[in-house]
Amino acid sequence: MFVPKREDLQRILVIGSGPIVIGQACEFDYSGTQACKVLAEDGYQVILVNSNPATIMTDPQLAWRTYVEPITPEFVEKVIAKEHPDALLPTLGGQTGLNTAVELAKSGVLDKYGVEMIGCDLPAIERGEDRKLFNEAMDELGLETARSGYAYSVEDAKKLGIEIGYPLVIRPSFTLGGAGGGIAHTEEELVRIVSQGIDLSPANEVLVEESIEGWKEYEMEVMRDRSGNGIIVCSIENFDAMGVHTGDSITVAPAQTLSDIEYQRMRVASLAILEKIGVETGGSNVQFAVNPRDGRLIVIEMNPRVSRSSALASKATGFPIAKAAAKLAVGYTLDEITNDITQATPACFEPSIDYCVVKIPRFAFEKFQGTDDTLTTRMKAVGEVMAIGRTFEESLGKALRSLENGHMGLGADGNHFDEDNFEDLCSRPTQDRIYYLAEALRRGQSVEELCACSGIDPFFMNCIADMVSVQEALRHFRLDQIDADGMRVLKRYGISDVEIAHLTGSSEAAVRAYRKGLGVTPVFKTVDTCAAEFESTTAYHYKTYETGESEIAPKQQKRVMILGAGPNRIGQGIEFDYCCVHASYALHDAGYETIMVNCNPETVSTDYDTSDKLYFEPLTFEDVMDIVDVEHPDGVIVTLGGQTPLKLAHALLEAGVPIMGTQPEAIDLAEDRDRFSSILDEMHITYPRSGMASTFEDACDVADDIGFPLLVRPSYVLGGRGMAIVYDGAQLEKYMTKAAHISPDHPIYLDRFLEKAVECDVDALCDGDQVYIGGVLEHIEMAGIHSGDSACCTPPFAFSEAITAQLRSITRQLALRLGVVGLINVQYAIKDAMIYVIEANPRASRTVPFVSKATGVPLAKCAALIMEGKKISDLGLPPDDRRLDHFSVKEAVMPFGRFPGSDAILGPEMKSTGEVMGVASSFPAAYAKTQLAIDYKFPQSGTVFISVCDRDKRAVVPIARDVVRLGFNLCATEGTARILRASGINVDVVRRVSEPSPNIRDMIAHGDIAFMINIPYGHETRDDGYLLRGAAVRYGVTNESNLAGAQAVVMAMETVRETGLPIVALQDLPQCEV
Amino acid sequence: MSNVSDALLEHTSAGIHTPALLVLEDGTVFHGVSCGASGEVFGEICFNTSLVGYLEIISDPSYAGQIITMTYPQIGNYGVSFQDVQRDTLALRGLVVHDMCAHPSNWRSDCSLPEFLRSHNVVAIEGVDTRALTRHIRDYGAQRAVLSTQELDATVLLARVKESPSIVGENLVKTVSCDHSHTYGINDLPEGHAFAETSQSGNRHSVVVYDCGIKQGILEGLVRAGCDTTVVPWNTPAEEVLSLHPDGVFLSNGPGDPDAVGETSSQVEMLLGKVPLFGICLGHQMLSKACGATIEKLPFGHRGGNQPVMNLRTGRVEITAQNHGFGTVFSSLGSLVPDLCKGYSGHEQDLRFWSRARIAPVVQNDRAGRIQLTHVNLNDGTCEGIACLDVPAFSVQYHPEASPGPTDAHYLFTAFCRLMDGRDDYLDIDIAQDRLAGWKFAAEEEGDVRA
Repeated sequence: MFVPKREDLQRILVIGSGPIVIGQACEFDYSGTQACKVLAEDGYQVILVNSNPATIMTDPQLAWRTYVEPITPEFVEKVIAKEHPDALLPTLGGQTGLNTAVELAKSGVLDKYGVEMIGCDLPAIERGEDRKLFNEAMDELGLETARSGYAYSVEDAKKLGIEIGYPLVIRPSFTLGGAGGGIAHTEEELVRIVSQGIDLSPANEVLVEESIEGWKEYEMEVMRDRSGNGIIVCSIENFDAMGVHTGDSITVAPAQTLSDIEYQRMRVASLAILEKIGVETGGSNVQFAVNPRDGRLIVIEMNPRVSRSSALASKATGFPIAKAAAKLAVGYTLDEITNDITQATPACFEPSIDYCVVKIPRFAFEKFQGTDDTLTTRMKAVGEVMAIGRTFEESLGKALRSLENGHMGLGADGNHFDEDNFEDLCSRPTQDRIYYLAEALRRGQSVEELCACSGIDPFFMNCIADMVSVQEALRHFRLDQIDADGMRVLKRYGISDVEIAHLTGSSEAAVRAYRKGLGVTPVFKTVDTCAAEFESTTAYHYKTYETGESEIAPKQQKRVMILGAGPNRIGQGIEFDYCCVHASYALHDAGYETIMVNCNPETVSTDYDTSDKLYFEPLTFEDVMDIVDVEHPDGVIVTLGGQTPLKLAHALLEAGVPIMGTQPEAIDLAEDRDRFSSILDEMHITYPRSGMASTFEDACDVADDIGFPLLVRPSYVLGGRGMAIVYDGAQLEKYMTKAAHISPDHPIYLDRFLEKAVECDVDALCDGDQVYIGGVLEHIEMAGIHSGDSACCTPPFAFSEAITAQLRSITRQLALRLGVVGLINVQYAIKDAMIYVIEANPRASRTVPFVSKATGVPLAKCAALIMEGKKISDLGLPPDDRRLDHFSVKEAVMPFGRFPGSDAILGPEMKSTGEVMGVASSFPAAYAKTQLAIDYKFPQSGTVFISVCDRDKRAVVPIARDVVRLGFNLCATEGTARILRASGINVDVVRRVSEPSPNIRDMIAHGDIAFMINIPYGHETRDDGYLLRGAAVRYGVTNESNLAGAQAVVMAMETVRETGLPIVALQDLPQCEV
Repeated sequence: MSNVSDALLEHTSAGIHTPALLVLEDGTVFHGVSCGASGEVFGEICFNTSLVGYLEIISDPSYAGQIITMTYPQIGNYGVSFQDVQRDTLALRGLVVHDMCAHPSNWRSDCSLPEFLRSHNVVAIEGVDTRALTRHIRDYGAQRAVLSTQELDATVLLARVKESPSIVGENLVKTVSCDHSHTYGINDLPEGHAFAETSQSGNRHSVVVYDCGIKQGILEGLVRAGCDTTVVPWNTPAEEVLSLHPDGVFLSNGPGDPDAVGETSSQVEMLLGKVPLFGICLGHQMLSKACGATIEKLPFGHRGGNQPVMNLRTGRVEITAQNHGFGTVFSSLGSLVPDLCKGYSGHEQDLRFWSRARIAPVVQNDRAGRIQLTHVNLNDGTCEGIACLDVPAFSVQYHPEASPGPTDAHYLFTAFCRLMDGRDDYLDIDIAQDRLAGWKFAAEEEGDVRA
């Protein structure tokens, strides 16, 4: 019998992509999970390295050996030395995985241990990634690339600028998501971007290229097998013209405005490029620019690996690229793989789709004050949504309302426009441009004018114009004047019930009732890879307004519906998707038919394989209810997907939808400050004193009563947005004037800020009768830093037995009192041995995956089973007070490098995009691993710069002493230096940033500073510290901005020197299956 | 549609349209609005799953007698470039789409698709749930249908469609073939394709083309590969063709039931062995019939640009463009020759048996000697190509010229030239080597300042 897969391999090493960062998000968990699953099914032993605990792929069941360790050549080498894999699959872990593999190959580690790189070899990776080699290869094929040259210095770049002509695009070699790139219109801009780009490039090399800004941009997702069979899985056309990074662009699949001859030319070019670069097997994406005036085709780049776009393409077509890539890497050919969806035809075909897919990125500029919000060739999006509909208009409307940015569509539900900069905001690409364009059309500007100023193709602009035209026509009607035909027209143009309500002066509920009365209800179609040519068995559905039939299979067993978390954003990321996926797994095993609803294409939850049924739909009341109406679920889970589903809980309950687990009433009880305070009072639990104010005078009264420092925040935002700590009346006044929209309806909250308190999270399960403490997490940074941004350790390394017992006891009482059925997270602050409750969240928290990995108890699965009716005692969990022999540390990963101009400092507002985990036998060792995992190298020697605020000057002395003991020199600014000298520590004085050169900034720029400790006071932004931190971010110097962090780093450095960092597989730690 | 919907649509690019109705012979009714010419047309309903290339599909003469449903919902986005039209006279009966674009965008577009349809008097309907329609055709098979903008009573239309003729047994070829022979050479290639396509230089072959409704794309493919062609009507006698002393004879695609075109296949029988032959689509069926094969009607045909076909001689898979409702029954060509089939002697209904075993089986044929199965459809295991081993002739069921669709099989034009050159290995061409043949990427006049 002919066996297609390779029998000479037994163990395969897979490298993940590490923490979620901008440009590399959970799409690599999706692809890595698929790969691990399929390799295991084929009988291979998968060894996985990934430092990100919030991933499904790092679930210990998914791989044979799972190492939650830093993705660095050093640590991966340790794993190789220990596990002796036969092969390394480098193409599924994003740029991080690929770069690490390249380093291992180049340094000879792979040869040393006899590890074969499969899927893509080193020369191919280099030809794909190195722009010079790539351009040469394209030249040999006869394909055009943009006219360009390489610069290794600013002088090189200036010369090229004269040769090629401005504007120019600058792309540093080998950087993630185009980091450090940009467009220069003048020599001045060129010098600025190039000097930064050369620094950021590991090869100190930037490509200076002719600008093709304004051209049409396309992507082709290509797969190839070892026999040389090649297919295009999906074509993608960007709505935004060239100049905006494709990750920041609205994109559409399939390509919309290419005729057959143009499309086929791009197709053969894509396949030829893969062959030329030498991608032996797997998926790649190729990007092209097309001149809209003459069809001139230019190759922009290719990625010889699975990418963000391939995740999107997989979701858009139903073709599992990563799964196929893994199978191809171990020897299968495309014709030997069965199409999962049809189960009857081979994977060697090109999916045909009969719908239109729109992806829109989601941004977080509001978190990074002071940064430029223009979208450029450097990616800044933190997440994305995808929508499926039968037309571009319908999909665009869906995608826009999936964003959760306050709009339920193209803006017909009201919008606020910056009139002073209106014209600029129509042409300059920003996250809001589409709303400005729609408004401009509404105001009578022509499609031609707007295409000219924005570079957007007239096809798309006309579609938007049509949508606006229908919306405007609707203004002339009352709701009761609309008939069924009219309602169908509105729906086909992607207009939501909320928008209809707004335009007709009605309410969403009235529109829904009226619409259903007219008999205008949606149908559900299937994503089947083949445009209905073959029958499919996979229940991957989307909603549309069509005249024909729905394709929903009749109900045969109990159904549970899980509402996902929507787009990734800061504060709500992959952790919640992890919880939803776990719930789906657990409930499927418990005999339910599981239904997932989500609109985030990057996730594992939106893999058609994860749940019994997948609805790729916006998480709005309208869209969720439409699914409820056809699925009639026996229960809906709203507490695992973060705020997104939680916001819908009340409305769903009122509509008669059975909510599983913790009821909305209990959620209210915890979220309503007054009600929660009275519960705490009733239970004699301490909490920080607090008040509310809608004017500065009120606030002063509250401050007089409670006392400074105060934690202040607006009442109308979530996730710590707009939060600050104020230390005196002046800061309070400044905050009040800056924070917009303060009114009696939107007051601010003022809480006593517990300076220097230690913070702590407790995650627990409650079944109504019994409580199981999942984990107690001790924060490293002191109070005042958002819990999502601070490092934490479990079990706590410095809590007394008494404190831990008290924390557990309070958590138990609260969970039972609130009526939690499922998960609860309680945040505490401990000051002077007194425990304060900061808040309680009766839902899955961000730390659930981390705690589950740290303890081996799958909390989200347990929660789902509890919601379904199981008791904690049924689950067979280990005692929750058992002692673990290892410490697990979680550390946050910050995106400051992406947002030049914003202050690189931790505070009460969350800014991190992702997290890493370190496991070791002591806290410092585990902490050290997290620092290495986020790419902070521990310097061995050199100069450490210290500058601390007056408050912390005394406390920094022992840290400084340790730093000296570790063999570093110290330098400090005048004030800090005086104190250190007085304490008997040798230190050099350097000039402040604001003083003339040579000052500390010059030292940072010259690489003279090994790391720095800069601790500011309060919430100032435009001071010396701000400039200093900016310089540190720019030149990649590690900066500790708080004492506790500095202390932990010093401890970690010492531990690394003394004991080293042995690796640990999760499978060697206690694991519990439910 | 109602007054309200008209008011909502009034200022959109689509505007307001009159109602139209599509009725299938099994009584299924689809409502929509007119987006082409007015009228009432009858034909066999079919669907095409291509994502691009609606113009090439609509103008393909093989669709004579058919009403085409496009499965991709938004059609007309890039307008109409006259240079891409496959035949000036449109042979299809009608067009069904979900959403017709009235605001196309493409630098090559000459007019919008609705304008083009009206100017060619093609009846078209939009607003149809084309996915539901496609599923219906898939589950209940191809059938007769009527598309009307004039009569809007479904009962009346149902009665009419039941009386309309079936395309089975009808000779549609004679309705689309040319009346007189004419030449097509290198100077006839469309200028509008020069930005993307080039021609093979070198020695040229003179080829006679049987026009059963040939697509422009095939003529372009032949010419670009090095053929100078003389196009002759579908029923031109073999002796007349041979008297032209061609290097080879090409058998074109064409519409409808191959059994109704006996006059072509009987000429092919006479040409067999006398001159190198190459057939595409209906041409493949003509060659098969000339060898005595049985032709079957497929349940709902292959129409689209994503059909996987394995070349059994190389083991490589080609993604192919297809458009056919009938197919050759391979087993009807003769008994297997076990010596040339790795010992297998029994025919397999599902030809994927051979692709899995990586064997290109050979039968012994009464008229042509040994015939090899060269290509198999991986979706359903049907015959996609044959080659005669004892006479110079081969054919494929699918469309190497694509137009529209993927061009993986472009090598077959090269293969034909190699056959005419007398090479035995004419079919053994690596797709990757051929991939960029005939394509042009760089603008010639542009200087290169790459540093």
